[in-house]
Amino acid sequence: MIKRIQKVIRKWQKEKEYQKKLAELRKRDPFNYKNF
Amino acid sequence: MTQLGISAFYHDSAACLVVDGQVIAAAEEERFTGIKHDDSFPINAIKYCLEEGRIKISDIKEVCWYEKPKKKEERAYKIFNKRFLRTLLLRLKARKRFKTENPFFLLKSIGYRGRVKFVDHHRSHTNFSYYTSPFKEAAILTVDGVGEWETVTISHAKGNNIKKLYSVNFPHSLGMLYSTITSFLGFKPNEGEYKVMGLSPYGDPSKYFGKLNKLFDISKGDLYLLQRYFTWEYSDQVMFNKRLCRLLELAPRLPEEPVTQDHMDLAAALQKIYEREFVYLVKKSKELTGTTNLCLGGGCAYNGVANALAYKYFDSVHVPFAPSDAGSAIGACLKTHTDIPPYLGPQYNDRQVYRSLQKYKRYINYYKLSPRKIIQKTAQLLSAQNIVGWVQGRMEFGARALGNRSILASPRHPMMRERLNQVIKKRESFRPFAPSVVEEKASKFFHLREPVPYMNMVVDAKSDALPSATHIDGSCRVQTVTREQNEKYYLLLQEMGRLCNIPVLLNTSFNLKDQTITLDPDQAIKRFLESKINFLVINNFLIKKKDYD
Repeated sequence: MIKRIQKVIRKWQKEKEYQKKLAELRKRDPFNYKNF
Repeated sequence: MTQLGISAFYHDSAACLVVDGQVIAAAEEERFTGIKHDDSFPINAIKYCLEEGRIKISDIKEVCWYEKPKKKEERAYKIFNKRFLRTLLLRLKARKRFKTENPFFLLKSIGYRGRVKFVDHHRSHTNFSYYTSPFKEAAILTVDGVGEWETVTISHAKGNNIKKLYSVNFPHSLGMLYSTITSFLGFKPNEGEYKVMGLSPYGDPSKYFGKLNKLFDISKGDLYLLQRYFTWEYSDQVMFNKRLCRLLELAPRLPEEPVTQDHMDLAAALQKIYEREFVYLVKKSKELTGTTNLCLGGGCAYNGVANALAYKYFDSVHVPFAPSDAGSAIGACLKTHTDIPPYLGPQYNDRQVYRSLQKYKRYINYYKLSPRKIIQKTAQLLSAQNIVGWVQGRMEFGARALGNRSILASPRHPMMRERLNQVIKKRESFRPFAPSVVEEKASKFFHLREPVPYMNMVVDAKSDALPSATHIDGSCRVQTVTREQNEKYYLLLQEMGRLCNIPVLLNTSFNLKDQTITLDPDQAIKRFLESKINFLVINNFLIKKKDYD
């Protein structure tokens, strides 16, 4: 049970990290690009 | 006929002047503005081309635009229509951009009222690649991010006729996939791709290869990329979404974060995936055309590691000196084969150099030597492990410094690479440097199938005699030099051979961190003073700093 909870927490932490990094990248102009 | 070729508004804006099929001048806008990969209307490059040709804008009979803006606009709106509400803001932005980037309006603003010919984006790549090649018949493969619709084309050329046989359309784009992972790894898209290529030999591709493979759905067609991982169709910001992070089980790297083994492994997997798809396209080119010659074009043709794999199916491979959008400015004008050297930019005579030297005389000592002496002296300095800035003749067109705007060093010392990376160029330590070698001695040091005059083929080194020019996997992005291509640089390499038995020099572009390649003597001296380059040679002037002991 504990292991399962730890797994869920890890997954949640990862998701938060992805979200945080993506938000940070979005703020940075050099990561804008053109396709039109 | 006098033609002006223009490429603008994507990346690497450039202009060229073509008179009766001969390219008189060409330059990228970034060299004049100092903004790397400047994509603005190339007003300074146009000005230079007109000055070089000693003509006025009214003397131009035809402007050749490297793509069809109307077709590109149609594509953008068609893609936006897939997600009407989500792309509302982007649609407004695009509308504004298409309005301000109208070629007719811009050309009118510089006084041009003549004919404008719009050439397909990939046709411009194809023309530049084939018409600068020595082949009378060839397959032409172009791969890039995206043009109007196309991202890949295969054509068959015979004489002056080029026929397109195959294409892949947006959003299925190998170039954009490479740029996406480049940005995932914390490098700027459309700029940092070569860093990813340099990083890839440090990694193990097996860790992420399977994951990256899941981005493709081969059951739906060639290069079919599943768009659920990307934002290309509805955003102009970060090129990927959270699903890609989940798939890779890796968070994107921010530029300031250290490069870890995971990042190296991802770079290695991306390079392997790119190579697999590239080889598939090369094979397809062979099957469709049946020729023995291949011309490569599009920004992806800068991937020298993959380019070398084309020899699996072709006897001879030609990669032009500026295969990306800059070269398309020339490609849009060409209709027949023409011999174009890569040295198409401005040059500066001794009087202009002298004027710059006078400006900085408080900080420098300089000597004017004879042409023979300057070569001998420079070779001596290089063989004594000095780093030399080398500015000669006309500036190169394209991303590579080919011996006219270069920082040179001896490749024999293993520490030279770190010294150049960390002290002079202040860039990532994993990035390799390219060696230049006299063509007739190239096979002694490298496994070459053909001469590589423009540094766009990565080959294996034969020995460990060139430690600072050899990458971690034993490969080199070599440049072969002949007397006909660049006499002064050739003689310098020969002199190096006479002094230390190795006619090879480490050649990197004359710029410091985040700068564009040096344009003129003023800029060269300024950069020389700002850096730890030991000596500077401009034309026949040998320059050293006053505080240098």
